[in-house]
Amino acid sequence: MLSEDDLDLKQMTEEELARAWDLWFDLAQSTNEADPPYSHGVLAGLRESPGSTPRS
Amino acid sequence: MVNVYFALTEEFNAEGVVALLASGQAVVFYRIALMSKDGDWVVRESEEACQRVRAVLARHGARYRPGAPLDPRWLAGGWSSHFEFFDAQDRRVRCDFVSRPPRVPPHDLDEMFRAARGEARLRVVDPERLILLKQTQRAKDYPVIGEIARLLPADRELRWTTDPDRILELAESHGMGSDRPSVEAARQGRARDDVVVELARELDRLQSEDRRRMRRYEESARPYIAAFRGAVDGAASLDDGHAAAVRLAERLLPEHPAGES
Repeated sequence: MLSEDDLDLKQMTEEELARAWDLWFDLAQSTNEADPPYSHGVLAGLRESPGSTPRS
Repeated sequence: MVNVYFALTEEFNAEGVVALLASGQAVVFYRIALMSKDGDWVVRESEEACQRVRAVLARHGARYRPGAPLDPRWLAGGWSSHFEFFDAQDRRVRCDFVSRPPRVPPHDLDEMFRAARGEARLRVVDPERLILLKQTQRAKDYPVIGEIARLLPADRELRWTTDPDRILELAESHGMGSDRPSVEAARQGRARDDVVVELARELDRLQSEDRRRMRRYEESARPYIAAFRGAVDGAASLDDGHAAAVRLAERLLPEHPAGES
C-alpha cells in the first residue's frame, strides 16, 4: 500500500537507514513554519496557534 | 549519525526502561516509512519515570509546548505532554508523551512494556499495539497499519490489516470466527467491492471514534491552554516551566476530562 521507495527501507543497512532518516529530517525542517500547532497527543484538534518555543 | 529520537529513547532508558518509542518513529524503526519529524513515547506512569524523562529533556534545553504537565496525575487521565528543543544542527525536535495510549486497555500497559521490541535501551512499542495507537482520525495512518500488520503472523495480520487484497487472500485460510464484516464478506465469496465497502465503513468508524475522544480532551483543556503561554512560556528552565505548568493545571486542567474514566 506504500510506495516501493518506502518499502526499500527494509533493504538498508543500519547506517544507510540512519543516513536516509537524517537527510529526510533535514529536508522536513523546511516545513516547520507550516506545521499545525499540534499533530499528536490529545490536543491535536485545537485550532489556535501556540507556535514554536522561542529560540534562546 | 543517529536518529535523534532513537538516541533520546536510549537516554530516557539509561537507568531502566521507562519509555517506549511509539507512533511515527516506531514506524521508522520497523522500516516501513520515514513519516514523522516528531517523536512520541509511552512513558511509565510514575513520578520517577517522569522525573527521568524531564531530566533528559532539560539537558537538551527543552521547553514545554502547550500540553499537560509530565506528571502522573494528568497522564493517568489520558492527557499528553509536549516539549520542543533544537539540536546541535539547529533542527527542531518535538517530543510527545502519554502514559495511557489510546485504545490500549489500562490492564495491558505492563504487558505492553514486556512485549516491547528493540535492543537494550532502544525499546519500541510492539507491532500489534502500535496498530492500536495508529487507529487515529487521520486517513494517512491506515495504509501504514496495513504495512505494520504485514509484520504479524497471518491470523493476526487478518485481525488488523487495512489492505483489502490481504483480506481477500487470507480470509479463507485464517478468517474463521473473525468479527470483521470485511473478512466475513470475503469468506462468503462476495464481490471485491463488498469487501472494500465493509473495510471503508470500519475505518470510518475508527476515525469517528478517535475524533469524538479527542473532542472531549480539547473541550476540557481550553481554559488551561488559553492561560498556558503567559504562565509557562517565560520560565527560565524546564524545571521552572514544569512547576508553573503543574500550578496552572491544578487550577484549570481536570485530571480526568469529562467522559473519560
